[in-house]
Amino acid sequence: MNASTHAALEQEIAQLIIDTLNLEDLQAADIPPQQPLFGEGLGLDSVDALELALALQKRYDIRIASDDRDARRHFATVASLAAFVASQQAACAH
Amino acid sequence: MSEAQLATPRHWSAQRERGNLLLMRFTAFAARHCGRRLLSPLLHLIVLYFFLTGRRARRSISDYLQHLAAWSGRTELRPTPRRVFAQFMAFAECLLDRLDVWRGALRFEQVRVLDPDGLRAQLLASRHGGRGQLLVGTHLGNLDVCRALAELGEQVPLNVLVHTHHVAHLNRLLGEAGEQRMRLIQVSELDAALMLDLSQRLERGEWLAMAGDRVPLHEGRRATVDFLGRPAPFAQGPWLLAGLLGCPVNLMCCLKIAGQYEIRLERFLDAPAWARGQRDATIAQWAQRYADRLAEWCLLAPQQWFNFYPYWDAADA
Repeated sequence: MNASTHAALEQEIAQLIIDTLNLEDLQAADIPPQQPLFGEGLGLDSVDALELALALQKRYDIRIASDDRDARRHFATVASLAAFVASQQAACAH
Repeated sequence: MSEAQLATPRHWSAQRERGNLLLMRFTAFAARHCGRRLLSPLLHLIVLYFFLTGRRARRSISDYLQHLAAWSGRTELRPTPRRVFAQFMAFAECLLDRLDVWRGALRFEQVRVLDPDGLRAQLLASRHGGRGQLLVGTHLGNLDVCRALAELGEQVPLNVLVHTHHVAHLNRLLGEAGEQRMRLIQVSELDAALMLDLSQRLERGEWLAMAGDRVPLHEGRRATVDFLGRPAPFAQGPWLLAGLLGCPVNLMCCLKIAGQYEIRLERFLDAPAWARGQRDATIAQWAQRYADRLAEWCLLAPQQWFNFYPYWDAADA
């Protein structure tokens, strides 16, 4: 995946976060890819993460194995989510 | 008993888990090898033993009857030793009925279904491409009888969410008992992998069932509601799940009324959702509505409250 499609995916995911969690006062550009989504950063909590996971499943058909210890890490930032989605899409393509 | 033990009533899951597993093993064994007539005196003896030795359980039932009588204004429900004992005996009856359910001796035709919202039709419809729904049960009455639901749902898979760690074992027992459609899933904490799994099950037309009247192991995720006029901690889990999955939520209970089991099914929430920032308030509201409904059901069958552990806030006692 080249740099511009990756940036587009990040923006798409930022928008998905806003739409899913009704963060109406924000725009995609307000969530920098490296900003932590939880705690200090955007201030999301663990239930928001679940809502987000469901939205990502609907949109990108992502899968998370129950023994995936990295699940939490995938949700850390917009950038990590984009990388996760991209890796799943790449896995499907093969 | 030490002061610390008195101050923190043991959690029901610590108390019940081992007992439940043994009970299920026993039930599965007994179901295969003996009949109700043989087991009835034995079970009544066991229950009598628990009544005599279980001070905490006696006390808990007494509290329940006290609150129920005060809240409803029905003084005839006030606890007396005889009434508390009757509650234990009703539990023995319930265990024997469970055994019949396991043996397949309690046929679906013997159970009355009160289904004003037509949920049975929806259950059947999910076999043909519909989305699944959530069923929230209670430990008032006999949940096992609702297994008959699996029969009426024919091929609709029912996933029962439980706190117990013995899921693999219990699933094997269910399999041995010839139960194909019911599956237990352990939920101690909601995580993303589990959420995705549950969501996919709903999309495939499977249904999810869980109890609404047991508080979770962890301190968090509970809402304090008014139940029979007193503050009691209720689980947030079912309502959290409902809001996240956005599927219809139904209540289910099975009471024995005048010797006959009646399964009550009713719609509770059509499309659960919360507004941003209103999540906790919304969940608390749903938990309160559930507690209110449960209280009404308690009055239909006061003796069938089978939560034999301190149910209300200790601070309120």
